[in-house]
Amino acid sequence: MTKAKRDRISWLIALIAVQSLCAAFFLWDVVNDMGPRGLRSLTNLHIVIETLAAFALVSGIAFETRYLMRLLRRTAHLEEQVSIASGAFHEVIMDHFDQWHLTPSESDVAMFAIKGFSIAETARLRGSAQGTVKAQLNAVYRKAGVSGRGALLGLLVDDLLNGPLAARPGAAEPDVA
Amino acid sequence: MTSHKIWDPFVRIFHWSLVGLFAANALIVDDDSWIHEWVGYGIATLIALRIVWGFVGPRSARFASFMPDMRAIIAQLGDIATRRRRTHPGHSPLGALMIFALLLSLAGICASGYMMTTDAFRGIEWVEEGHEALVTGAEILIVLHVAAVIFESRRTGVNLPRAMITGTKRMPDDTNLV
Repeated sequence: MTKAKRDRISWLIALIAVQSLCAAFFLWDVVNDMGPRGLRSLTNLHIVIETLAAFALVSGIAFETRYLMRLLRRTAHLEEQVSIASGAFHEVIMDHFDQWHLTPSESDVAMFAIKGFSIAETARLRGSAQGTVKAQLNAVYRKAGVSGRGALLGLLVDDLLNGPLAARPGAAEPDVA
Repeated sequence: MTSHKIWDPFVRIFHWSLVGLFAANALIVDDDSWIHEWVGYGIATLIALRIVWGFVGPRSARFASFMPDMRAIIAQLGDIATRRRRTHPGHSPLGALMIFALLLSLAGICASGYMMTTDAFRGIEWVEEGHEALVTGAEILIVLHVAAVIFESRRTGVNLPRAMITGTKRMPDDTNLV
């Protein structure tokens, strides 16, 4: 993991922590303001705005946490790789994983499979039983609608070759010409 | 299952006496009674002993073995994000953060509580409000601590509450040790 990447993750964690404190304070304040009138106090415009602001902050935190989890997953998958190509390939793969609604465990197992790790190796690296990895891998193949590892790789590579990832140097741009 | 002796008797006695005394003062004992004061002195003594133990105790009790480390924290969060199972002998990096947060807030509660008994600070508003705010903060931390212990026990397959009672972490065979 590069230092820049680690810094980015650290700042994001700090931001989420500070905002969570603020959200807790605002929610506590809203509940206090409501006081004995309970939900009926929602007829008061000021309290309504306060409540909406607090919930907006909470959803912002939820969004940031999702993004942080994605960033952490990506970091875990790519480890020391920093090349643009591996990053772009990873993007394509993660888009597919999202489309297939893979769970975090399934994404991780699928990533190891794509990298060529055996079931035994994946189980060791993830600290889980081989049977678990097998079941997760089968779920991946089922969700992707493929028969096995070869077909999964084929599907992804096919997409990578078709997709306009980056303009090849020297290639004519069809739209401009 | 492999067993690892982690928590020495002092750490365990410290943990559970702290639970008892804090719960007593926060939930049961009347704030203005002499019992509240003496329970507070008890907590202050426990914290002081724990800090000394953090320098002279066995490895897993020593602060040097669980100083906050951003790299390790990110690694643990990565494990959570990918559902990888890796277990830590001693405190996990995020767990260590909680230990320091709790020790600091409890030390602050003891200090402000003691100040309220002295002539110089008796009846001064910010001391009393600070004391109460710190108690609320500590209560939030404790709820988070318990939630995190349950979450991490389920995630890693190591029964953490049991380890704090028996002193031994029982780790599943297929888990990875850090």
